[in-house]
Amino acid sequence: MLNLPRWQTLAIIIVTALAGIFALPNILPDSVDNLLPKWYSQNRINLGLDLRGGAHFLLEADLRGVMNERLTNLADSLRGEFRKQQVGYKSIDVDQGKQVVVVLRDAGQRAKALEAIRAVDATMAVGGDGDAITLAYQGQELFKKRQEVIDQSIEILRRRVDETGTIEPTIVREGDDRILLQVPGIKDTTELKRKINQTAKLTFHLVDEATAMSGQNVPAVLPPTTMLVPTREGMAALRANNPKAFEQIQSANPKMTPEQICRRFQPPCLPVFKRVIVGGEDLDDAKSTFENQQNGGRPIIAFTFNSAGGRSFCAATRANIGKRLAIQLDNEIISAPVVQSAICGGSGIITGQFTTQQTQEQALLLRSGALPATLTIIEERTVGADLGADAIHAGTVAAVVGTALVVLFMLATYGPTFGGFASLAMIVNLLLVLAGMSILGASLTLPGIAGLVLTVGMSVDSNVLIYERVREEKAAGRSPFSALATGYERALTAVIDSNLTALIAGVLLFGFGSGPIRGFATSLSLGLVTHLFTATVFTRMLLAAWVRWRRPTALPI
Amino acid sequence: MLWKPIRLVPAHTTFDFMGKRKIALVLSTLINVLSLVGVFAIGLNFGIDFEGGIAIQARAKEGTIHLDELRATTGALGVGEVSLQEFGDNRTALIRVQRQEGNAACVAHADTVMKKRAGSGWSVKPSPDPKVGDVEFTAPSTLDSAGWRDAVSRVGLTVQERQLPRANTNTVKIEMTPEQRAEWCQQVAIKLVEDAIGSKYELRGTESVGPKIGSELMHSGVIAVVVTLAAIAVYVWFRFEWQFGVGALIAMLHDVISTVGLFVVLQLDFSLTALAAVLTIAGYSINDTVVVFDRVRENMRRYKKMGLVELLNFSINETLARTLMTSMTVFVAVLALVLFGGPVLYSFSIAMLWGVIVGTYSSVWIACAGLVYLKLRPEQLRPDDDKAKVKA
Repeated sequence: MLNLPRWQTLAIIIVTALAGIFALPNILPDSVDNLLPKWYSQNRINLGLDLRGGAHFLLEADLRGVMNERLTNLADSLRGEFRKQQVGYKSIDVDQGKQVVVVLRDAGQRAKALEAIRAVDATMAVGGDGDAITLAYQGQELFKKRQEVIDQSIEILRRRVDETGTIEPTIVREGDDRILLQVPGIKDTTELKRKINQTAKLTFHLVDEATAMSGQNVPAVLPPTTMLVPTREGMAALRANNPKAFEQIQSANPKMTPEQICRRFQPPCLPVFKRVIVGGEDLDDAKSTFENQQNGGRPIIAFTFNSAGGRSFCAATRANIGKRLAIQLDNEIISAPVVQSAICGGSGIITGQFTTQQTQEQALLLRSGALPATLTIIEERTVGADLGADAIHAGTVAAVVGTALVVLFMLATYGPTFGGFASLAMIVNLLLVLAGMSILGASLTLPGIAGLVLTVGMSVDSNVLIYERVREEKAAGRSPFSALATGYERALTAVIDSNLTALIAGVLLFGFGSGPIRGFATSLSLGLVTHLFTATVFTRMLLAAWVRWRRPTALPI
Repeated sequence: MLWKPIRLVPAHTTFDFMGKRKIALVLSTLINVLSLVGVFAIGLNFGIDFEGGIAIQARAKEGTIHLDELRATTGALGVGEVSLQEFGDNRTALIRVQRQEGNAACVAHADTVMKKRAGSGWSVKPSPDPKVGDVEFTAPSTLDSAGWRDAVSRVGLTVQERQLPRANTNTVKIEMTPEQRAEWCQQVAIKLVEDAIGSKYELRGTESVGPKIGSELMHSGVIAVVVTLAAIAVYVWFRFEWQFGVGALIAMLHDVISTVGLFVVLQLDFSLTALAAVLTIAGYSINDTVVVFDRVRENMRRYKKMGLVELLNFSINETLARTLMTSMTVFVAVLALVLFGGPVLYSFSIAMLWGVIVGTYSSVWIACAGLVYLKLRPEQLRPDDDKAKVKA
């Protein structure tokens, strides 16, 4: 049967209409677009970096360096612990960032040495025999640590890039030890590259409780040793509620001090002493963990200082129990926990009514002083905005000309009715692809435009297969209606097979490719899928309606 | 009716395709062997995607580009092989610089850039030990770690403060592995070219692919091609018979190899987009093949007594119209890309254009001739499960 059930016809019309609605903002000229409501007209496909201009970096984190450093720290702690426990050793060395090798003076002390090792870090995999002990991270532990390093690097990078005031940067993990950074619209990458490995300013200050007691958010007069610093939540609220103010702060030259920001825009602020107790460079690690079950098992933040940091922290906390200690990161206070007891020995915890998500975020912020691993640029691509504009122009012309040629070709070879329907289906298919890319949030790249042009050429192919079959059936003496019905029916397997094989190539290309090539694979694959719909169902609906209306005695094909 | 459809291909043709299969076989073998020989003897013109290196699009600030002058300027820089070409129009040049080695010459370049950009009091020296990549920077005055970080970024080196001494000094040794130094040297070479041509040219786009990523992309590209061909062949095998799968595979290999041959002959830039073209050609050329195979299968079931060669000829002639028409629609679309798609897509479009032609040819002569040599017989076909549906 050629006719489709009514619900199918309805579904086809709805899908086509939706495609048109989603695709429209991408096609309309700007002058018309501006007349439409913003929430609708902004619903456009993202342009890839090669079209809008911008910078693309692939950064590699030096994980071996990080592991080497961590193992070196571990070796240091081991030396201390061995001295304390009176374990004699010949040497403790770090081997290539992979393991720590301990050689004992006396193999008989092995048990005692192992105990000391467990006291320092119980998660290590211990090996070796006799007087030799090797320590390495366990597979899973190593994986987790590497993951942490990359996650942390991404978070820090995001802060760094946000500072440059660029919009919509993409920062994602790529593979095992890489980070992809894409910054649209940036002209000069020198500043950005300089920022990439910059260290954030993380400092610990005591809160000036006397001033805070006054109850005013921004007191008119401050003691000379005290400064006002906005809280992180306060700045986030300001950014959301008063974007203009935030912009002013960003673009101010010279940069505004935290106190100026407090006085001018009145976000929630805290008075803290200017004296720095410990700096972020002395903070070794901070992580989200849980309290002992006896204490309630709440999520907490645990942190570790190096020896210098530990000493000053110990002295400051001992003298200020019950007071708040503010942690300042890049001129914002990320938290101000109350000192419960003297924190000596280099490590401490922050407790409170936190959710796991909060402790994780706080730990991440604490660790964001310095990048954990040096990032090396292993791939860089920058495209000037005018170069992108040229590419858009070339791509658009090629797409329009390509479409026009295919339409002409179809009209000439299959006549106004059949050729017209196939062309209409091809246009609807283009709308579907554009709509699909809008919905998926895929980026359109220059190779992506090439994919669209190919889609145009390939999407009429299925109509060609069907029409040729119809011609055959017509020649075999079938009535118009029957020729159409069997034509659609019999061509279907060839249509599906030929598209699926092309789709295999498209999907694999997406899997192996990167950047612009993915754009190509996306538009091509999407086009192949959607055109299965337009070529078979959509044109069939049109032809069925046409046959009912004209009741042709002979098919004009 | 407004106009009558034009039949570009007659409805009934009786061309003896399979009779010419020996000629086609010789021709195709020749093209493929020559392509492979060409790849090894002449070599592909790999873009920076696969070899690593730098590509800079430079536009003349005034007038047109002077390739000879540019060649002399960039050639004298000592950054290895530099290739130049006009790109798109006569105001724009594409400058390609070979992948940089992390050698002492690169550190000398860094020294040049540093002196030019920061002043003659600066110097950059390599570590005396050639096995490590360490580099020593000297400043005219003492600097703190933040100052140092800014300073080294002028030669494209990104370091962390903790890699630098905390005390103020006027020399700094940055520790690097030779691999890290090789990646950094790419940045140095960009700056060097920038300084050399910056007064007359505006840099519109810069691409730099480090030594490591280049070889990786090459590796994954080869895997992509192999996996795609295998997946498509397996699909055809499942949908038809193994003979069809093998025929399709040979046809695809033929198309892929001869496309690569085209890149050798024309010395087109073989980049990631070129690889995309190769894969798309593999996927597209199989389209026509499947259409012919579908008909061969149908006819084999219908005419069980007909000889294979005769049956193939019959089927190909029956489907000739659609084989040529589908190719033509894609051909005109790709033609638009070749003519208007701009310089970036040029290699891709040319390859696709070739792929459409060679794909059509191979589905007739290679894929179907394969069936003859694999001695496909009607009784080897699986029972027709679609038949009941079609009759209804």
